Amino acid sequence: MRPTRSAAAAAVLLLGAAALSGCSAGGSSGADSGELTFITDKTWDFDTFSAESKKDIDVSLATTAYADQEAFQAFVKQSFRTNKSPGLFTWHTGGQLEELVAEDLVAPTTDIWTKAVENGDVAESVRDLYTVDGEQYCTPISVDDWVMYYDKRTFEEYGLTAPTTWEEMMTVSDTLVDNGVTPFWNAGGNPWAFVWFQILAAGTDLDLYTGLTTGEVDWTDPEVVDVMNIWLDMKEKGYFTDPGSKVAAETQMKDQEVAMIPFGTWYASTLTTVGLESGTDWGVFPIPNVNPDQETTPVAIETAPACTAENSPQKDLGLEYAEWWMSSEAQTAWSEQEGNLPYNPNAEASTEEFQAIGAEFADPSYEFYLRWYEAAPAPILTASLDQFTGFMTNPGDPTPYLEGIQQVADEYWAGN
Amino acid sequence: MSRRSSTNYQRAAWGFLAPGVVAVVLVLHLPVLYTVFLSFTDFNGLGDPEFIGIDNYVRMFRDPAVLTSITNTLLWVVGTLVVPVGLGLVVAYLAFGLPGGAWLRVPFLVPYALSGVAVGVVFSFVLQNGGALSQALAFLNLPGSELRWLQDAPLNTFAMIIASAWQGVGVNALLFTVGLQSIPKEPLEAAKVDGAVGWRLFRFMIWPLLRPSTTIVVGLSIVNSLKTFDIVQSMTQGGPNRVSETLGVTMYRNTFLNSEYGLGAAVALFLTVITLAASIIYLRRQLTIGEPVKKAVRS
Repeated sequence: MRPTRSAAAAAVLLLGAAALSGCSAGGSSGADSGELTFITDKTWDFDTFSAESKKDIDVSLATTAYADQEAFQAFVKQSFRTNKSPGLFTWHTGGQLEELVAEDLVAPTTDIWTKAVENGDVAESVRDLYTVDGEQYCTPISVDDWVMYYDKRTFEEYGLTAPTTWEEMMTVSDTLVDNGVTPFWNAGGNPWAFVWFQILAAGTDLDLYTGLTTGEVDWTDPEVVDVMNIWLDMKEKGYFTDPGSKVAAETQMKDQEVAMIPFGTWYASTLTTVGLESGTDWGVFPIPNVNPDQETTPVAIETAPACTAENSPQKDLGLEYAEWWMSSEAQTAWSEQEGNLPYNPNAEASTEEFQAIGAEFADPSYEFYLRWYEAAPAPILTASLDQFTGFMTNPGDPTPYLEGIQQVADEYWAGN
Repeated sequence: MSRRSSTNYQRAAWGFLAPGVVAVVLVLHLPVLYTVFLSFTDFNGLGDPEFIGIDNYVRMFRDPAVLTSITNTLLWVVGTLVVPVGLGLVVAYLAFGLPGGAWLRVPFLVPYALSGVAVGVVFSFVLQNGGALSQALAFLNLPGSELRWLQDAPLNTFAMIIASAWQGVGVNALLFTVGLQSIPKEPLEAAKVDGAVGWRLFRFMIWPLLRPSTTIVVGLSIVNSLKTFDIVQSMTQGGPNRVSETLGVTMYRNTFLNSEYGLGAAVALFLTVITLAASIIYLRRQLTIGEPVKKAVRS
């Protein structure tokens, strides 16, 4: 009996060890089955899209979506240390992509990009966002341009038309304030506290904005203070919604409490969820330059990259899928499904609103720049979101808030 | 023979214990040691950590936001002792002995079934600017409708403590009720015969006899309030501009928002040391207070 009991104990021990080793080691990749492991922090409907790819290239997505951005990033980072790193995962361009490339964690996609650019499937300017040290990494799921969404019902009610200059936009805002409608949505906290600083800084001087992302411009420079003072002036005139409100922007527009919302073209599908229809209820216009003397009109872009881990057992399948995602077939299907503006000029936008703005943005008078959330290094981004929220909550002299960001920026640039 | 048998039993016992011990060492002890190691490194979650000595600790204590975070954490400790523990005791004492007293406690217990995040989300809608509370106060012509409950410090910390209390009162009341039920009837009856009623009965008889329960409730409350995270993260994210941050939120922010794992680990260790120190000091004090009583009873 006793040897049996010892054997049982040993068996339990082995079982435990096996279970624990199972936690750290990976199983089969599933690459042969045509099912690709896809990890994402986006809430988009990838299951419907998976049916499209299954039909087209016989590869489907086994999607795991994370609702929490930080938990998602921690998971992806940890997965690189195992042999279970995903065949495809969503990420961010800018500093966050550079971090992965610095450690050789993400598979290069230069060949895919070369072919896509030659085919005219994607603009050269988009390639720049995916270039680190001359090589391309990841491919775009979508590239969204930032536009101003406006409530056509409210505009019609007060006899307003979509403004084309900053001055016109301010006049429209005054009319809206006089009629008890808040002109612009803005919100504090992470992630949206940066929105109005981005619009005002880039619209005043795009070089100033870029300088802040590279450390060449100090936050306490008089030009930056001036930008903050424009924000303060607009706030004092009652142009903005309450930054402490938890009511979603689309709900506020639906209730005609706010007339204009600056967001990326991905926001169209969110407006649809509250029953607002493109063309009848809402439209879009390019966000005008604050400084009319600026030669080009800057348009913020954000892009959702799909990346393949260098050590993933599904690396080949992941890259195959990434390449397909850039094709006109995939981009047309994606635009139809999500209602956004496809970055592939050979693909067709699903709404007239976006077809028109797509044609407008093809004009060389528009210049594209990376939005603040991706362009700023992580510690400076976090500090800026905090300080901007503080500024929105207790508006006044912007200097202490800018000094707070500069302190973090000094620390960051000293070590980078 | 019997010694060999005992040894065999011990071996078998160790065999059965081993998987559990291995699991505890792997998932509890090793991560703690790894966190200690990380706190002395510069690490962004990728590649290899770089040893930088005590730089993270120096940075942590130089950061004015961390000092705010420590102050807020202490406010949480005091607030949680006063509100949920105090109210829990009141609810337990008032309901104790009453016919249907158990039913009176039920409404206080129900919120305990919710997660801290769910409570945070609900209360952030109630307490937002122009939210349910402000609207109710304005409708009733009561003062306070203009207050920015979640935006001005330290009001936002107090508001969150109240939200936390809404959830925590019930379980404290339950623990105090168990304590009240375990008090022997004889000394209370003797005290009543001697004329002790009301506040005097509570202060000089029930309160001292309730000490074992109080020790547990207060001890748990101190530990839980020191590591406050979920409700703050879901209601204010520690903002605006870090004014309502607690040490738990600071740790999370450094690690997962800024990818500064070393700095986050330093905050985590600091929080661990404070929590352990507070627990040890409190429990030792309670045991020291209890000791002479025991000796007196024995003699």
